[in-house]
Amino acid sequence: MSGPPSTEPSDGSVDSLESETSRRTMLATTGLAVATSGCLRHVRSAVNRDGLEPLSVTITTLPSDGDRESIRLTRRVRDALEAVGIDASIELLASDEFLRAVLVNHDFDLYVGWYPEATEPAFLYEALHSTYADEPGWQNPFGFTDLAFDDLLEMQRRTDGDERRDAVAETLEAFVTHQPFVPICAPEEYRLVRSDRANDWRRFHPGTPLGYLDLGAGGGEIERLRAVHTDPRPSWNLNPLSVEYRNRGLFTGLLYDPLAVTPAAGTVDDEGDPPLADGGKADARYHPWLAESWEWAENEDGGTLTVELRDDCRFHDGEPVTPADVEFTYRFLVDTTLGGDGVSTPSPRHRGHVAPVVVDEIDADGARIELPIAGGEPAAERALAVPILPEHVWRERSASTDVTGVQVADGTTDAVVLDNVPAIGSGPFEFVDRNEREYVTFQRYDDHFTLRNDVDLPGPTVEEFRVRIDPRSTSAIEIVSNGDADVTTDPLESYVVDETVALAAETEGVELLESPARTFYHVGFNFRKAPFGNPHFRRIVARLLDEAWLVDDVFDGHARPLTVPVTEEWTPDALAWDGDDPAAPFLGSDGEIDDVAARDAFESAGFSYDADGRLRVRR
Amino acid sequence: MLTDVLIRVVAVVGILLPVAVATFVGRRRLATLQMEWRSRFRESGPLLVVLLVVLGINRVMRQEGPTISDAIGIQLTWLFYELEGEFVLVFQSVASPELTAYFSAIYVYGYAFLLIFPGIAYFALSNTIYFRQLLAAYSLNYTIGLVFYLVVIALGPRNVMPDLLAGTMVYDASPEYHHFTRQLNSSTNVFPSLHTSLSVTVAIFAYRTREQYPRWTPVAVVIALSVVISTMYLGFHWVIDVVAGIALAAGCVALSMALVDSRNAG
Repeated sequence: MSGPPSTEPSDGSVDSLESETSRRTMLATTGLAVATSGCLRHVRSAVNRDGLEPLSVTITTLPSDGDRESIRLTRRVRDALEAVGIDASIELLASDEFLRAVLVNHDFDLYVGWYPEATEPAFLYEALHSTYADEPGWQNPFGFTDLAFDDLLEMQRRTDGDERRDAVAETLEAFVTHQPFVPICAPEEYRLVRSDRANDWRRFHPGTPLGYLDLGAGGGEIERLRAVHTDPRPSWNLNPLSVEYRNRGLFTGLLYDPLAVTPAAGTVDDEGDPPLADGGKADARYHPWLAESWEWAENEDGGTLTVELRDDCRFHDGEPVTPADVEFTYRFLVDTTLGGDGVSTPSPRHRGHVAPVVVDEIDADGARIELPIAGGEPAAERALAVPILPEHVWRERSASTDVTGVQVADGTTDAVVLDNVPAIGSGPFEFVDRNEREYVTFQRYDDHFTLRNDVDLPGPTVEEFRVRIDPRSTSAIEIVSNGDADVTTDPLESYVVDETVALAAETEGVELLESPARTFYHVGFNFRKAPFGNPHFRRIVARLLDEAWLVDDVFDGHARPLTVPVTEEWTPDALAWDGDDPAAPFLGSDGEIDDVAARDAFESAGFSYDADGRLRVRR
Repeated sequence: MLTDVLIRVVAVVGILLPVAVATFVGRRRLATLQMEWRSRFRESGPLLVVLLVVLGINRVMRQEGPTISDAIGIQLTWLFYELEGEFVLVFQSVASPELTAYFSAIYVYGYAFLLIFPGIAYFALSNTIYFRQLLAAYSLNYTIGLVFYLVVIALGPRNVMPDLLAGTMVYDASPEYHHFTRQLNSSTNVFPSLHTSLSVTVAIFAYRTREQYPRWTPVAVVIALSVVISTMYLGFHWVIDVVAGIALAAGCVALSMALVDSRNAG
C-alpha cells in the first residue's frame, strides 16, 4: 500500500493501522466530496439553463367552406413563415368556433380573418386600447398593451375636425411601428342582384341595413324580397350581442333600430354619402333614425348629447319605445350583468361605441335623454349607432347563464349567449320564422316610423323578406340568375367574380353590384404568447407579406392592398400604398421572399437560428 | 335545389335498380322471392330494424354531433396534411372535365346504387344469411363511423387547399350536390371515409357471393373502386381516410360474419 509516509509513530499495533486507514479514507472522501460538489454545481448550472427552442406556431382561420380567401391567405402566410424557419401549422375552425376561440377564449397564436366593420378609424380605439386586453369580443383580442399608444387613441377620440385628422395620422404612424396586427387588404364587395325586380339597389350599400329599405321605390314591382345568404348563422341566432354569430349585423340591423344611422354609398363610383331628405346635415356621417334629433354641447369633460326620441314608436310586441329603454340599452351594453355578480360583462360587439358614455349619469325623462360623453363629438355620435333593446325583454337576461352539468365561465350572461329567436326589436322588419340552416323570414313592421306620412326616411317597401341559406357562392349565383332570388346578401367570394361579370353581361335582368370595401383582412398576433409581444418579430412578419401579390393571387385583384387598416380617405400620404408598403417594405419581390435577407433581418433583431435553419425563441 | 337533386338521384337509381335486378338477379330468383318474401322478411326483420335505428341515430347526430365534437373531439386536419403532404393532388395531373363528370356521377349516383342493389340481390337469395350479414355490416359501419366522427374533427383536402383542387371541385361546377351531401354528412367528418368503407363492404360481399352472382362481382368491384378513387379525386378525403375506410370495411365484414351466423333468428 503506497501512500504518504505516516507521520504517526508506527508502533505496528492494529489501532494505528486502522486509524491510518480511516484517515486516508477520510482524506479521500473529502477530496471526492469536493470534486463532486464542484461537478454537481457544474451539472446544475448546465442543466438548469432553459434552451431556446425552434419556434412552432399555429395559424387559426376558417376552412374553405367558411371563406375561401381566408384559407388561401393563411396558406400563403404559412409559406412565408416556413421560408424563414418558423414551423407553422394551420387550424381550421367553423365561423362560430373561430370567433369563440379568437375573441372569447383568446386561444390562438396567429389568426387570419377580417374585422367586422372598419369604415371609420374610431374602431381602432376598442381594437387596440390596453384596458380591453382581457375582455371577450372584438375589443383588443390581440392583448396589445402600450401606454403611449393608448394616449394617441384617446386623443383621436377626444377631438374633432382637423385636430382629429392629425390625431388619427399620428396613431397610424405609431401603428406601423408596432404592427399589432398586419393589415393585408380591403376586399371589394360584389353582389348579384335582379335589376328587373328593383332598380335602386345602388342607392345605399347592400352590406348595410339601409340597402334593403325603399327598394322598388324608384320603380320595380317587388313585394317579396328573396335573398340568398351563404352564412348560416342568422338562421341559428339573431342576438345583436352574440359575437360568434354576427358578421356585421345586417339582419339584426333590420330588426332593431339605432338612434342614428350611417348611410353609406352603394357603389364605388358614388363617393359622397347619399343624402337623406329629412334632418341632419347633408354631409354628416350620422343621420337621425329612432332619434328625432340631437344636440351636442361641449364641456370640459367632453360633452353632453341631448337626444330627442321620436314619438310613439313601438317594439314588435306592441310595447312603446321609451327613454327608459334607451337608458337601459346603454347601461346594459356597458355591463350586461347590470352590476350584479361583481364581474362586468360588456357587450362584445358594442364596447367601443358605448365606452365614452358615462352611463351612471344618463338622465332620461320625458322625451329627452341626456347622455354625458367623455369624448368629442364624433365619439358621441358613434354612440348613437347601437341597437335599442327593449328593457322588458332584456333586463332578465342579465342573469348568469345556467347550463346543467356544464361549468360556465364567470360573467357569462344569458344576454351574450341566448339565440334571441324570436327577436323583438323596433326595426323596420320583424321576425316571422326560421328553419336552421335553411332560411329566415322577416316581414314588414307596419307600425314602423319610416312608414308615417310625415317622415321622409327610407322604409320597408317589401312585405316579406325571405333569406335563404345556401352555403356556396356558385349556387347563390345560379339561384339569382334563375330568378329564384333577388339578391346575394353576402358578398361573393373572389374566385367567382370574374365569371359572374361575364354571366351578368349575358343574362337579362341581372346585374353585378360592386360596392366599396367595409372591412379588411389581417393577420392578428396574440401578444400573450411569445414571441408575438416582440415588436421586431411582428415588424419582420409584416415585411414577409407582399400585399399586392396576395391581392392578385388570392383575390384576383379584387381588393386594395393596405399598409394601415383604414379607408383611403383616412390614410396619411406618407403611408399610402405606392406599389409597396412604405412602412413594412416586402423582403423580396413579386411574392418571392428573399430568404437570406429575411433571416438576416431576424438575426439583426436578436433572434437566432439553429443548425437546421429553424428560428429559435424562448417560450 | 335539394329537391331537384333528390328527384334526380331517385330517378337515376330508380332506373338502374330494375335494370340491374333484371341483369343479375334473374327471373327464377324473383319468382321464388315472390313466394318466400314474407318468411325472409321475418328472418331479417330484427337486423333491418337495427339498421334503421342506426340510420336514425346518425341523422340526429348530424345536428347534435358538432356540439359533442367541440367538447371531446381532436383536431386532426393538420396532422393528416403533414403526414400526407399533397399526395391527393396526384389526381389533379390526370384531371379532365370528363373524368370529373364521371367521378361526380359515381360519387352520388353510383354510390347510392352500390349500396341499395346488394340489399335487393341478397334478399332474393333463399338463404337470408348474406342479406342479414349485409345489414349487420352496414349497421356496424355507420355505428363505428359515428364514434370516429364524434372523436375526430378533420376537414378534407378541399377545405385546406381549394385552389389546388380547383380543377375537380365538384361543388363549384355542380353546387346542387352540396345541398344533397350536406343532409347526409358534415364537412368535419372525413375520417374515416364512409364512402370507402361501405363501398368496400359491398365489394367484399360481392366477392363472397361470386357463386350466386358471378356477373355482379366484377361490376361491384369496378364501381367500388371508382367510388374510392372519386373521394380523393374530388378532394373530399385524404388517403389516410381511405385507408381507414378500407380497414373499417374489413373489420365490419368480419364482425358481421361472426355475429350473424346461420341461426334462423337474426
